[in-house]
Amino acid sequence: MTARLLALTRGPQLDRELDDEVLAHLELAEQDAMASGLSREEARLVVRRRFGGIEQMREQHRDRRSFAAFGNLVRDFRYGLNSLARDPSFAATAIGVLALGIGANVAMFSIVDAVLLKPLPYPNPDRIVRVWEAPRPGSTNSTSSLDYLDWKRLATSFEALSAEFPASVALTGNGEPARLSGKAVSSDYFRVFSTPPLMGRTFMAHEDQPGSEAVVVISHATWQSHFGADLNILKRRMILDGESHQIIGVMRPGTVDRDRSEFWKPLVITPDQYLRTTHWLRLHGRLRPGVSLARAQEQLRSIRAASIELVPLFKRKWTIEVAPLERLLVGPNLRRSILVAFGAVFLVLLIACANVANLLLAKGTARGKEIAIRTALGASRGRLFAQLATESLVLCLLGAGAGLVIASLLIRIASPFISLNMPAPAPLELDYRLFGFAAGIALCVALLVSAVPSIQTSVGSLEHSLRQAGRGTSGSHHGVRRYIVIAEIALSLVLVCGALLLFRSLFNLQQIETGVRIDNVITMSVDLPEKSYPTPARAAMLYESTAERAKSVPGVMQSTLSSHLPLRWIGNGEAMAVTGLDEMIGVRFKRVAPEYFSTFGIPLLAGRAINQADRDGGRRVVVINEALGKRLADLAGLKNPIGQIVHLHCPRYIAKGTTKQEVEIIGMIRSERVADPGVPDPAVVYVPLAQVPDLAVHLIVRTQSDPSSVVSGIRKAMRAVDPNLPLGDIATMQEVREQTLSGASRPAWVIGVFAAIAALLTAIGLYGVMAQSVTQRRREIGIRMALGARAQDVVLHFLRNAFSLLMIGLALGIAGVLALTRVMKSILFEVSPLDPIALVVACLSMTLICLLAGFVPANRAAKVDPVTTLRDEG
Amino acid sequence: MLTGLGRCAILYMSRVDMSKYKTEIPYGMLDLLLLRTLETMGTMHGYALARRIEQVAGDSLQLSQGSVYPALIRLEQEGWIETEWGLSETNRKVKFYSLTKTGRKQLLTEIANWERTTAMVARFLGEAS
Repeated sequence: MTARLLALTRGPQLDRELDDEVLAHLELAEQDAMASGLSREEARLVVRRRFGGIEQMREQHRDRRSFAAFGNLVRDFRYGLNSLARDPSFAATAIGVLALGIGANVAMFSIVDAVLLKPLPYPNPDRIVRVWEAPRPGSTNSTSSLDYLDWKRLATSFEALSAEFPASVALTGNGEPARLSGKAVSSDYFRVFSTPPLMGRTFMAHEDQPGSEAVVVISHATWQSHFGADLNILKRRMILDGESHQIIGVMRPGTVDRDRSEFWKPLVITPDQYLRTTHWLRLHGRLRPGVSLARAQEQLRSIRAASIELVPLFKRKWTIEVAPLERLLVGPNLRRSILVAFGAVFLVLLIACANVANLLLAKGTARGKEIAIRTALGASRGRLFAQLATESLVLCLLGAGAGLVIASLLIRIASPFISLNMPAPAPLELDYRLFGFAAGIALCVALLVSAVPSIQTSVGSLEHSLRQAGRGTSGSHHGVRRYIVIAEIALSLVLVCGALLLFRSLFNLQQIETGVRIDNVITMSVDLPEKSYPTPARAAMLYESTAERAKSVPGVMQSTLSSHLPLRWIGNGEAMAVTGLDEMIGVRFKRVAPEYFSTFGIPLLAGRAINQADRDGGRRVVVINEALGKRLADLAGLKNPIGQIVHLHCPRYIAKGTTKQEVEIIGMIRSERVADPGVPDPAVVYVPLAQVPDLAVHLIVRTQSDPSSVVSGIRKAMRAVDPNLPLGDIATMQEVREQTLSGASRPAWVIGVFAAIAALLTAIGLYGVMAQSVTQRRREIGIRMALGARAQDVVLHFLRNAFSLLMIGLALGIAGVLALTRVMKSILFEVSPLDPIALVVACLSMTLICLLAGFVPANRAAKVDPVTTLRDEG
Repeated sequence: MLTGLGRCAILYMSRVDMSKYKTEIPYGMLDLLLLRTLETMGTMHGYALARRIEQVAGDSLQLSQGSVYPALIRLEQEGWIETEWGLSETNRKVKFYSLTKTGRKQLLTEIANWERTTAMVARFLGEAS
C-alpha cells in the first residue's frame, strides 16, 4: 500500500526506472543474440519482436501504478452523480436538506468569523491595548488630560499612547450642510494602529499642539460621499464648524473607520484643560514588543503611586487597567448570544445530517440487492464503504454548493442588521475562509452520514441481504433509523425549547416598564459649532428659540431638548456633595429643557418640574429621579429631599472641567429607563439646559400623528434659526427603543427561525421512517386486514409506533435542555431556563408534529387493499 | 480500510488487464510462473527471469518478454516480491527481484489453486473422452 501511495508522488522517477530496466533487458538480450551469431541489426529486430510492444507495456504499467486508487475515486464520483440523477426526488430532498443545514452554518460562521475570529486589520493587533482608570475593579472610566500627559511622558512600556474624544461637526460650504461625526485624536493615534493612509499622510507630532494649522484626515466613506472621490482631494480644504481645515489624508476603508468615524482632527489639549478631575479622554496604546499587559499596567500604577499627592482625594483609591483591544470590541453578552446562535445552527446541521443519513438508509435498503450482488462478485467491504462514502461526498459537496448560495443570500439579508448592531465588525463576505469552512463541513457530514448506512449495508451477511432483498423487506435497517429519528426529536426539542425561552424573554423585555411614553415622538440631534456659539448664553438662546420654532411647525404638539434621549445610557457621571455626608454621591448628569418630563409623560412624584423661569442667572435648581431620592434617603437620611441644597459638580461650557455649584432640589420624578433592561436604574440629576448648556443636544418633538411627516417642517424652522446647523440622527423614539432592546431580541429571532427549520426537518425524518415502514410492511398489513383487522387498528398500530419514538426522544431532549441550563441563563431576561411553560409547549408542539408526520403514512397503510398487496408481493 | 481498498482496486485492474493487454497465457499463470521461478532460482534480474521462463516452457508458451515487467510490478505492489538495483554478470546496471515471505505463502496458495483447477478441468476432460 505504501508503495502505491509513494508511486503517486514519484511517478516520473518510476517511469525512468522502468525505462532503465527495459533498456537493460534489451541490451542483455542483444548481447545474447549476437553471441549466438546474429548481426547487430538482426539481433535488435529479434529482440524487439520477442519483447513485444514497449509502449503498450509502459502504458499498462502506468495505469496500474497510479490510476487504480484515483480511477476508482473518479468512477465512484461519476457513479454517485449517476445514481443521484436516477433518483432526482431523493437527490433534491437530500441536497435541499443539506443546503439548509450547511447554508445556515456558513452564514452563522461568517458572523462568528467577522466578529470573533478575524484578527483586527492592524499589524500586531495583540499589542494594541486600551487604558482605563478604574474607580472599582471591573468598572472602567475615561482618563483625565494630566494623567494622560504624564503617562505618555513616563510610560516606557508603550511605543505610542494616544487619546481621543468624540467630535461632531457641521460640514458647510460643500452643498447642503451635513453633520459629520468623528474624533479628535492625539497625533499618536495612527501610530498606535500603525495603519497607513490610502492617500496623503496622517498627523505629525507637532500637529496636536496649540496654535498649529488646522488639518483633518477623512475616512474613505467621507471622501466618496462628500467629495465624489476627487483624486485632488489633498489640495482641497473643508469647512468644519465654520473653520477651514486642510485635508491632509484619506484613510483606507475597513481600518480605523470601522467605528463609523468620518474624520479625524488633531486633539489639542490647551493649558486650561490641564486637570486631573475631569475624565474625558479614551486611551489606546501600542505596547513595545515583548512587554506584557501586566507589566504595562504595573508601570502605569507605579507612575500614579509616585505622584499620589497630585491625585485628587476622591480618586486616590482608583486604579488603572490595561485591557487588550480585541476583547473589548465584543462584549461578553454579544459573544454569548453569537455562540448560542452558532450552537443552534450546529444543532440544525446535526438534524440535517440525521435526515440525510435516514434518506441514505432508506435508499440503502432499496439498494440492498445491488450491494449484495456486488459483494458476491468480490467487492470487499472496504471497497463498498469507499463507494458509498464517495456517493455521500458527492451529495454533500452538491449540498455545500447550494448551501453557499443560501449562505450568500442570508449574509446579504443580514448584513445591514449586523453592521447596525455589532461594534466594528469586519465586513461580511464570502471569502476563502468560508469556502474552506463549507468544504470542511461537507467532508465531515459526508463521513458522518455515510458511516451509519455503510456499516449497516456492508456488515449484514451476504445470504441474509440477498434473501431479504429478494423479498423487498429488510427489518434490520429499520432499527438504526429509529435511533436516528429519536435523536432528531431530542435535538429539535432542545432547539424549540430554547427558542421558546428566548421568545418569552423577549416578551418580558417588550413588556418592561420604560417609564416614558414614546408613541409619536421623533428626535434629532443638534450640534453647535463652538466658534459660532462661544458663550453659554448664546447657546441657551439658540435652544430656547429652537424649541419655540419647532413648536410652531404644523403637526407638532410639544417640543423640548435634552442632552440624552430616554432609553439611552447617560455617559456623564458627576459627583454630588450632601451636607452631613463625607462621601460624594455619584450621579448621572442629564440636561433637559422645559417640558421634557411632560413630553415623555414622566410623572412628577414631588415638587415641581423644570420650567422657563429656570434660566441662566436665576437660582440653580435640579430635579432628581426616584433612584437618587432613595439613595439620599438611605445614605443621608433625607426623607424629603425637596428644597434641600446640595453641591453638584457641573461641567463647564466648552472648556473641560467642572464647577462646583450650589443647587436646590426642586422636584423628584419617577425613574425613567436609561439603558438596557437588566441594568438597575442609576441615580440621575436633571439640570436645566439653560443653566448648564452643552454643544450637543437632541431636539425632541411630540406630534399629533405620524412623526416622520413633520421632519421637513422642522428642517425649515431650523434653517430660520441658524442656516448652518445640520440636523442629524433623525429617529423616532420607537426606533431608539428597538435599538436599545435589539441586543436581547436578536438571538431570539435567529434561534426561533432555526428551531422552526429543525422541527420541519424532524417531521420530514419521522415521516420518512414511518412511510418506509408502511411500505415494508404492506404485506403484513395486507394479511392482517385480510384476516379482519380494521383500518383504525392499523392506523393505531403505526401511531403507537411513532408515539414510542416520540416519548424516548422527548425524554432525551429534556435531558438536553437540563444540560444547557447554565448557558441559557446568561442570555435570558426574567425567565428561568427551566420555564415550565416553555418546556410544556415545546413538548406539545413536538408531539403534534410527530403525530402528524406519523398519521399520514399510517392512514395510507390503512387504505392498503389486501388483495393488491398480496398479489404484488406474493 | 485502505489495504482493503487497495486490494480490490488491484483485483479490479487485473480484470481489466485481460481485455486490454492480451497475454497469450491463461490469467494468473504468469504470476505463478514468476513466483515459482524466483523460489527455485533465488534472486534474479528481469531479463534472466524472462529467459528462464522461456527456457522452461520451451515452445509451448507464447510469451512476449515485455509482459513480464507489468506482472513483476504488480507482484511487487502486492508485497510478494522485492527489488533492488545491482549489476548483472556483464556489469550492466539492472534490477534484481527476490521472493518475500508473504510471496512464499502466496506461491503455496497459488499452487494449491492451480492444482485444484487443473484437477477439476482434468475431470471434465476425462469425462468427455
